[in-house]
Amino acid sequence: MSDIRQYLLDYDKNKKEASAVAQQSATRLQNHDLKLLTVIEELGEYFNSEDGSIRSKTMSYLAEVLAFVPPKVLSLQQRNLLCDFILSRIEDSEGLGNCAKALIALEERGKWDDERVTKVMDTFLTHTHPLRQYKQQSERYPVLQLIDTIMAKYRDALRTSHDSVPDFMTRFISYFDGEKDPRNLMVVFSILRVPMTEWNIVTDAQELFDAVFNYFPITFRPPPDDPYGITAQDLKDRLRDCIASTADFAPYAFPALLDKLDSTSMNTKRDVLQTISTAVVEYGPRTISLYSITLWDSLKFEILNVQEEDLAQEALNALAAVAKTLSTGTSGTLNAYLRPIIKECNEHLEDAPTKQSQAAARILHKIADVSPDVFNIIVSGVLPNIFLLFQTADTMAKRRGLLEVLVQLIQANVDVYGDWRTIGSAGEQAPGNAFTQFQGETLEIMLNGLENAPAKEVSFRLVCLDGLLQLSKARQILSDEDVGKIIQIFHAIIIHEDPVGKDEVKEAAINGLVEIAHQKPQVVVDKAFPAFMAQLPDVDADGSKGYVPVLEAFAKLGSEEDIFDTVILRLKNKFSSVVKQNASSTYTVALLSALLYALKKGASKLQQSPDASRYYQDIALPLLQQASSSDESHPKVFDDETTLDLVGRICNIVVRSQSTKEQNKVSAELYTLFRHAPYTEFPPFSVEPSSEQNKLMIVSTHLLSSLRRDTTLPCDVPGLISALVEYNQQPELSSAIRAASLRQISLLINKFITTPALKTCMDPLLASPVDLFNVERLNPSRIRIIFACLKGLLLRNSTSLNTLYPQLLSFLSHKNYGITVAHGFAGLLQPDDLLTKENHCQISGLHKQKTFTLIVPNIVQAFRNASPGTKPNYLIALSGVLKWMPFEIVVEEVGQLVPLLLQSLDLKGEELVTEAAIGTLTYVLQQRPKTIEEHAGSLISRLLNSSASGTKELPGAPPRVRVEALKCLMQVPEKLKQEVVLPYRRQVCKRLTKALDDRKREVRWQAVRCRAKWLDVDEVGEDD
Amino acid sequence: MDLDKDNANPTILNPSDLPSRHRESAVKKREDGGTGLFHDLIPQYTYLSDPFEQPVSESDSDDDSVEDIDEQEIYDLISSISDPEHPLSLGSLAVVNLPDIHILPPTSPYSSISTVLVEVTPTITHCSLATVIGLGVRVRLEQALPPRFRIDVRIKKGTHSTDEAVNKQLGDKERVAAALENGTLMGVLRKMLSTCE
Amino acid sequence: MSHPQEPLSSILRPLSTLSPPSNSRTWQSAPHPNLPLVATACSDRTVRVYSLTSFTLLHTITGGHKRSVRSVSWKPGVKGQSVLATGSFDASAGIWRRDERGVEEDFTRRRAGGDGYEDEEEDDDDYQFSCILDGHESEIKSLSWSPSGQFLATCSRDKSVWIWEELEDDNFETIAVLQEHDGDVKCVAWHPEEDLLASASYDDTVRLYKEDADDWVQVAQLNNHGMTVWWVEFEGSGMTKKNFCAQRDGLTDEQARHIELLERSGPRLATCSDDCTVRIWRREPREGAEKTSANTGIPSIIRSMAIDEDWIQEAVLPQQHERAIYSVSWSQKTGLIASAGSDGKILIYKERWKVQASNGVTAEDQDTPMTEKSPLTEWVVIAELFSAHDVFEINHVCWAARSDKGRRNDDDEVILSTGDDGEVKVWVLEEGSVIPET
Repeated sequence: MSDIRQYLLDYDKNKKEASAVAQQSATRLQNHDLKLLTVIEELGEYFNSEDGSIRSKTMSYLAEVLAFVPPKVLSLQQRNLLCDFILSRIEDSEGLGNCAKALIALEERGKWDDERVTKVMDTFLTHTHPLRQYKQQSERYPVLQLIDTIMAKYRDALRTSHDSVPDFMTRFISYFDGEKDPRNLMVVFSILRVPMTEWNIVTDAQELFDAVFNYFPITFRPPPDDPYGITAQDLKDRLRDCIASTADFAPYAFPALLDKLDSTSMNTKRDVLQTISTAVVEYGPRTISLYSITLWDSLKFEILNVQEEDLAQEALNALAAVAKTLSTGTSGTLNAYLRPIIKECNEHLEDAPTKQSQAAARILHKIADVSPDVFNIIVSGVLPNIFLLFQTADTMAKRRGLLEVLVQLIQANVDVYGDWRTIGSAGEQAPGNAFTQFQGETLEIMLNGLENAPAKEVSFRLVCLDGLLQLSKARQILSDEDVGKIIQIFHAIIIHEDPVGKDEVKEAAINGLVEIAHQKPQVVVDKAFPAFMAQLPDVDADGSKGYVPVLEAFAKLGSEEDIFDTVILRLKNKFSSVVKQNASSTYTVALLSALLYALKKGASKLQQSPDASRYYQDIALPLLQQASSSDESHPKVFDDETTLDLVGRICNIVVRSQSTKEQNKVSAELYTLFRHAPYTEFPPFSVEPSSEQNKLMIVSTHLLSSLRRDTTLPCDVPGLISALVEYNQQPELSSAIRAASLRQISLLINKFITTPALKTCMDPLLASPVDLFNVERLNPSRIRIIFACLKGLLLRNSTSLNTLYPQLLSFLSHKNYGITVAHGFAGLLQPDDLLTKENHCQISGLHKQKTFTLIVPNIVQAFRNASPGTKPNYLIALSGVLKWMPFEIVVEEVGQLVPLLLQSLDLKGEELVTEAAIGTLTYVLQQRPKTIEEHAGSLISRLLNSSASGTKELPGAPPRVRVEALKCLMQVPEKLKQEVVLPYRRQVCKRLTKALDDRKREVRWQAVRCRAKWLDVDEVGEDD
Repeated sequence: MDLDKDNANPTILNPSDLPSRHRESAVKKREDGGTGLFHDLIPQYTYLSDPFEQPVSESDSDDDSVEDIDEQEIYDLISSISDPEHPLSLGSLAVVNLPDIHILPPTSPYSSISTVLVEVTPTITHCSLATVIGLGVRVRLEQALPPRFRIDVRIKKGTHSTDEAVNKQLGDKERVAAALENGTLMGVLRKMLSTCE
Repeated sequence: MSHPQEPLSSILRPLSTLSPPSNSRTWQSAPHPNLPLVATACSDRTVRVYSLTSFTLLHTITGGHKRSVRSVSWKPGVKGQSVLATGSFDASAGIWRRDERGVEEDFTRRRAGGDGYEDEEEDDDDYQFSCILDGHESEIKSLSWSPSGQFLATCSRDKSVWIWEELEDDNFETIAVLQEHDGDVKCVAWHPEEDLLASASYDDTVRLYKEDADDWVQVAQLNNHGMTVWWVEFEGSGMTKKNFCAQRDGLTDEQARHIELLERSGPRLATCSDDCTVRIWRREPREGAEKTSANTGIPSIIRSMAIDEDWIQEAVLPQQHERAIYSVSWSQKTGLIASAGSDGKILIYKERWKVQASNGVTAEDQDTPMTEKSPLTEWVVIAELFSAHDVFEINHVCWAARSDKGRRNDDDEVILSTGDDGEVKVWVLEEGSVIPET
């Protein structure tokens, strides 16, 4: 049986089989077992079949065979013969697609000459025009592919027929009329883009343009399982490229596009604006100059009366694009474009501050950004007017409105010409900057405004301040002297002004100063520092705190690296002279705080700096010596615990980045603190409760925390630990000192014991003599020590926890101390500012996870069987652990936790617990609403209870908890399903009216927000 | 929805000039004139690590000190409502102004009913949306104030061509109630109130 | 406003709150003409029917209206069944029927889950929706059956008053659309003896209508209120036998003549308003045709003078309300008046012969154009209750026959107040004065 027969038989049953048959014929052709002629002859009868589908399949067979035949098998003459044959079949209404496929296959097997190309193209145009008459997409697609290939490979041939044959182009264009299929359109667009971009099509421009613009704005929603993955965006982009392809389209494109701009569909408008931007760039200055005014006239409305913010943005981009394109052309056309813009904007400025004056400012800024030329034209066109209006303005509001525009232009200046540190978009050798000639007047107005406007004119002064800041940044605009003036005003504000309203001006001034310091460090040092230092008395006899804002500003400046050292130095000197004068501890604390703040900001600098030890010598050492000195020269301020804490922290920052070698020096003095005596004479080794010495434990703690793990401590660790344990058991310790010495235990256990040594170190604690976990000997100070030890252990994820945690949990049922232990849990995972990586602690990434798995399930378990009396202890412990637990860990157990959390809300007088529980519940609500659905009722009513302020007789939760409860309740309608919450809506809204009347403003405010959410619940689909 | 604007180009006040209570920082202004920059240098929460020391958190100690609902609070509630025809707040358009808000205490020792009077100033005298704006203010306050307040919203005298008619409508409880059951109108109001925080 | 110097002679004692209350605003309550029932119109689109014996919810009528039910009215004089008309913000009025034969004993029976939601089972002892009256363009604000039960009047924000006639069951015909008002019509009420209809409006006026040659026309217009008139209600029939006039011994001739005048005038009219006043109006009896209507205020060329009526303001009650008065009600038994409104107060007023010594408030110091000599009677406040519904507004107040176990005789009455808090409260008026507790 002939292959074609076989093929036809298989075709419908199994396409694969059929193809196999075609392939086999191909091979036979190749091996000359089969003659091309015979193939054609065999096809003959089927091509003459009555049944169109047979004819079509037959051509499909031929196409496949050709596609399988390797190159070179068919001779040129054979190919031509085939080609003519196929072309002859094209008149047949059936199998067009397969003809095209066959031709594509042929072409792949040997280049065509121009004559053939023309013939092929011509045949299609004559016999299959318009293509849309073929209803099947699958019929049309191969044809388009074929033409696309021809367009790609035989451009010139087609071009010749375009140049020679008068109506070729018309027929060519109209051939694709009415194509609707997105996949096909993609091809059509790319075919048509060739003549658009490469040929001379002036006469056919309109036809070509219409051919594609008919599809504008193109929209299509790809089917869910679109095999071709063509997106609406692909089509948009390709269509946009066509429209933008040649300047010849301009006469048709702009009117058409601007017409579409009146559309009510935001998407259409968006598409139009983006297309305009693209076109403007492609069409080039000469063309654009003809349309620039028209474009301005219609685009401006999108900005003057904003509908959608992003549309305004697109419009601005388009306007800028025009300016950019024109500035590559002649200055004349650029001016012609900018003139009306400047004119109109100037008009809008007259009634500033209005929506439109603000819009004008945006326009000017955006366009001025384009290039130096544009910037200069705009500046010279607008600034004189602004100044004129400003002088004649009758209201502050108007002046503000005008300055806002001015500031925008200064920003444009920075964008184009850059600031003192970086060069702007204009590049190195930018042409002259027209702004320089206005710089004087601008500076004067702003200085004057900021200095003399009444303090209540906040916004006006803010604008001035911002303007001055921008000015001082602008590259090569102001002299250092002028920048100095600005700095003076700023620090004058910081120093002398009384706060108004939200104190925005002062805040802006401080931040402004920092920004300027980034641009002009030296000027700031020269101008601001003396003024600041002048504000810092050597002694604060009068007890006034005027120095605080100054110190804050000063400390902030420290973050600017170029002046970091100066800041530190000045603060340090000030501190020592203040100490000499016996100033109050509030003042010294403030100074030390400033110093610490600056050091923290510049910490990076500390690490890099080659001679970090310098900071140790200059700052840390003197402080330590003063603190520990015991002779009569000892300054009283160092007896203040807060002061010592700050001293400790400052030393910590300085020391912790030092090398082990350096640190060993410090370590040696850990407890002696350079007091030339054996350490055994000092705490924790000597226990003299009353002694001032105890306070120095605070400093030691911070030093200890700064040490690297491999530094040598002044004595052996176990000994030290047991000393500390002893030390901590004395009752009279102040809480600060106790906290400090407890943390030493945590630090030691965490940092200075190797894992193998751990057991031997812990044993004396766990077993006698100390016998820490012995229930009989349980007492407050021992409980504290237990948690201190655990803290050190859990961070390094020690295995000992497996045995220690269970013992700890068993204490929860202790009749006296159960509740105390319970409260201790909150401290376990609480972030600690000393036990950190920076302080060289061992912090396992998994420690929270481990603690969770070791504790939480057991609590849940124990809670069930706990006696009513002790149940609360478990809830307290639980909330304490969860308080600091990342939700992704909590989430594992969340299902069984929710009931316990809900019960925690009922605990009386445990506000911290309630608050923590609410916090966790809020998380659950956000992350796992499903798990809470079944409890919705009890959650809602409990939250309502917690949100009630209660009465004098039985007071409700404290305000902070009420607020949290309301915040959580607000999330309920957002996170739970409508049908779940709807039944509660009326009740909740009714009961919330109580919270609306809360004694506390903050609570009322939350209640309002929460109630609003609930009121909205059934609004959806409420009305018919 | 597409309203033809009565006043396409209103004057805009800057937020910084609007009276407002700094909500975020419930903490009152620091007497030392600083911004509290150094406040957290020494972390506050160390007490937690000591199970025997329960904190007395600052906010609770003065729980009994009552912060009464005042004009500023009312202003904060309504100034953030957005104008139906501009994406701008009634505050920045000076439609609601602090001096035009009055709280009248109960008229009798036996009554606990106070009255809030808000006079709104439409952006221009023939603003057809005056009623909608007034309604928005009234609805916002009815939702946000405890029921012991009676809410009277009026157009400020002489700032609107038909202020009397509008006032009468805004004062008519029955009409307001019916309006709130009207889906389209409610849609507009919800849009206006959506900007309230 | 002026407080009477003399201490108040009575107090309002809370008897009960109908339970369960609605979760949202309740507008108005109508006591059943002969059964111990009250129907309450709720903004949650339902009507709640409570027992006045057990003070519990019996039925919740749902599914009829798409918006607030604003007003309810029982059809008088129907045997064996109850017929209820409901007017709603959805611009329609509904007619509901329930077979009452032999279910009286059920009234004390509680009913589960009546709380606002639709109860599925359609048992026949429920109120059956029987027909809907469409026609008004916007919210219906009030409706009322004529005493005979022949007519139903409805009024709406569309400024019109409609009169419907029930030809046979559930076949209503519109027999009049009265569009005299220039604003929302807030309330309609029928004269107890004649087919005379009164309507109160947002346009500050009250208007009265009568049928004239089978054409309903306005016969009078009352203008003295300065703001929206919220409620209008006629005095009971033949009250001179029951109120302060009942005691005839030792009356002066003047007083006797006054009683006779009242009897010729027939039931009076009470109105209340946003202007914080309650006003009493009396129809001038006809002495022949020489008296033409001064204040009907409408051109009367078209029709015979005869039909016009002459209503004069007789008194303004003591002004002790500080905000809009939404509702006023006459006691059919005693002639006392109750009023309530936005200030959350309930006031009870009593009319009495004016004693020279007294300095109670009289019509004198009011804005009435007094043609005749100063009146013989005066109204005084006998009870004043603050915060009757906590801080909430009171939308409606009315008298009803008392029928709980505390009832002593047929004439015992209770006062029903309906508030924004969704509660309907039951009060009894008792002798004795107290300082209202703060």
